[in-house]
Amino acid sequence: MKKLGLSFILAVVLMLSACTSNEETFDTTSNITVYTRDTTSGTRAGFMSTIDFPEAETSDDVLVDGFVIKDNTGIMTAMATDEFGIGYVSLSSLNDTIKGLNFNGVEPNVANVINNTYGLKRPFNWMLRDAGDYPSQAVEDLVNAFVAFLGTTDAGDIIANNGAVAMPSTTTWDSIKANYPIVNQDNSAVTVRFGGSDSIQKVAEALTQAFTAKAGNFVAEHDHTGSGDAYKRTQDPAIKDTSVGKDVGFASRYFKDSEKVGVDASDYGQLAWDAIVAIVHLDNPLENVTAEDLKKIYDGTYTTWSDLITE
Amino acid sequence: MQYTKGLKKTKFQKNALIDQVVKVGLFSFALLSASFIFIVIGVILVKGATPFFTDNNGLGAVNFFTFITGDTWLTGSSFQSNLYSIGFIIVSTIFIAFLSLFLSFPVGVLTALFIAKVAPKRLANFLRTVVEMLASIPSIIYGLFGAGIILKFVYNASALIGYQSKGGNSIIASVIVLAIMTIPTIASISEVAIRSVDKDLEHGSLALGASVTQTNFKVVLAAAKSGIFTSAILGIGRVLGEATAVSLVAGGRRSGYSFDILDTTSTLTTIMLEGLKETTGLDYDIRFSVGIILMFVILLTNLTLNAIKKKVGGIDVK
Repeated sequence: MKKLGLSFILAVVLMLSACTSNEETFDTTSNITVYTRDTTSGTRAGFMSTIDFPEAETSDDVLVDGFVIKDNTGIMTAMATDEFGIGYVSLSSLNDTIKGLNFNGVEPNVANVINNTYGLKRPFNWMLRDAGDYPSQAVEDLVNAFVAFLGTTDAGDIIANNGAVAMPSTTTWDSIKANYPIVNQDNSAVTVRFGGSDSIQKVAEALTQAFTAKAGNFVAEHDHTGSGDAYKRTQDPAIKDTSVGKDVGFASRYFKDSEKVGVDASDYGQLAWDAIVAIVHLDNPLENVTAEDLKKIYDGTYTTWSDLITE
Repeated sequence: MQYTKGLKKTKFQKNALIDQVVKVGLFSFALLSASFIFIVIGVILVKGATPFFTDNNGLGAVNFFTFITGDTWLTGSSFQSNLYSIGFIIVSTIFIAFLSLFLSFPVGVLTALFIAKVAPKRLANFLRTVVEMLASIPSIIYGLFGAGIILKFVYNASALIGYQSKGGNSIIASVIVLAIMTIPTIASISEVAIRSVDKDLEHGSLALGASVTQTNFKVVLAAAKSGIFTSAILGIGRVLGEATAVSLVAGGRRSGYSFDILDTTSTLTTIMLEGLKETTGLDYDIRFSVGIILMFVILLTNLTLNAIKKKVGGIDVK
């Protein structure tokens, strides 16, 4: 009796562990399981605004019932297991374990983002303090030099290596560094504070790491707490002069109108694009989606895979 | 005469002085420890009560009754609505807690019985060390284990029975992860309780002709009831307080009462955790309110279990 029970349990375990998806028949009558980031995510805001579903950027009500909330890596690992799921990730996270869908017929890759044919993308922006509002002249000069650095091909390479898509540029740092004499001094006693979006943290840290070596080894302090803090910690009078104030803030979205009040046009700009890709399981036969399809999936109009895959 | 009287008085006074100083010193340490608890509870109570009594920057006060009975986390846009409710989450949390206790309690107690009474000495020592090590593994590790293995397992298992689960994120996945976490806790505390049962009781039962198994179940376990119940209380305390591990497998349900074990879920702790880093204003303060409700749920569970323990564990226990 015991042996029977034991062998039964063993059989069940073996069956379950050997369970793989049936490659030939993707069951199109199955429900679409919708995965999303939570409402504070910049990627979600970028995704929802591009598919023309802006109400869903900050509200969970308008989404289809029964969605699953995961963070960036959570969505990737979920899509690698869940055959009938659909989600979205940043282009830089895309890898071989999942399938990235074409958007409006355009393949998701860096070249297509730069030549502006791939439409599912969001901007990486920076915002500075007003001129003269910095803790010292050295900090202000270094920040201005950093912003100039962002427009060079050297910075473009670093941004590309870290998964974002840099703005096209032709200047090199060496050709313009003569305009910024501050970089020739020893700046190891100067601290420049960076903050804002945590989606940009990796790129920002790579940029400052390369730039500090070219600019007298100043100390770059990173404290990334969210896109909302880019404006708050550099320009908001209530917060910018407290201990959490920053010299450069990054945001993974366009600045809102309320965040541009009283801010000079020279105090903010764009450093890169971040492309977002809709992803599904490798066995899913779907190849292409339009913004309309994605909106209908996320608001619940399409509920089963047969609504999308017609073959 | 006066000289010796003076000497005696000084020595007596000196000792009395030392006693008084030590008394004051110990009291201040106790005050310090107690004050941390009061400060923490105080801050949470104050911050958590503000959404109900202030205007929340123009959004309006949150209605307490709808807060604890509603079925949608947030109706409307984030930062523009005050319609929060966690009724369905409270029910989910208690449901998950009791389900995982239901799974982990028998396994933990029977493991403890094996280690304490049935296993040969060397095996018992080895298992005891293993269980104690398991009890000290940080919960995030269990969460990662859950996200990597348990999700896949639940997804495949539910596909086998023909139900399409959401990538494995479900109540059953959270329950499994929580049960795995609490089994070592329950096992190690129950094992201590079982080991400290008076040998005379055991010998008496054996002498009266009962078999070893009968003695183990009817006498030893009954005598260790009090300690075993304590382990259950600690186990459920750990389950109710677990945030990170559950948030990796729960799925983040935002509305709707549901007892479907293969559907996604949220617990009080995961709803507090999700999005915490990037949020401000009412959305941030409301998490303190959820914290108050969580502390209340834990208090209530502890009181109930303690009351049951007093009633049940009263007989035959030292």
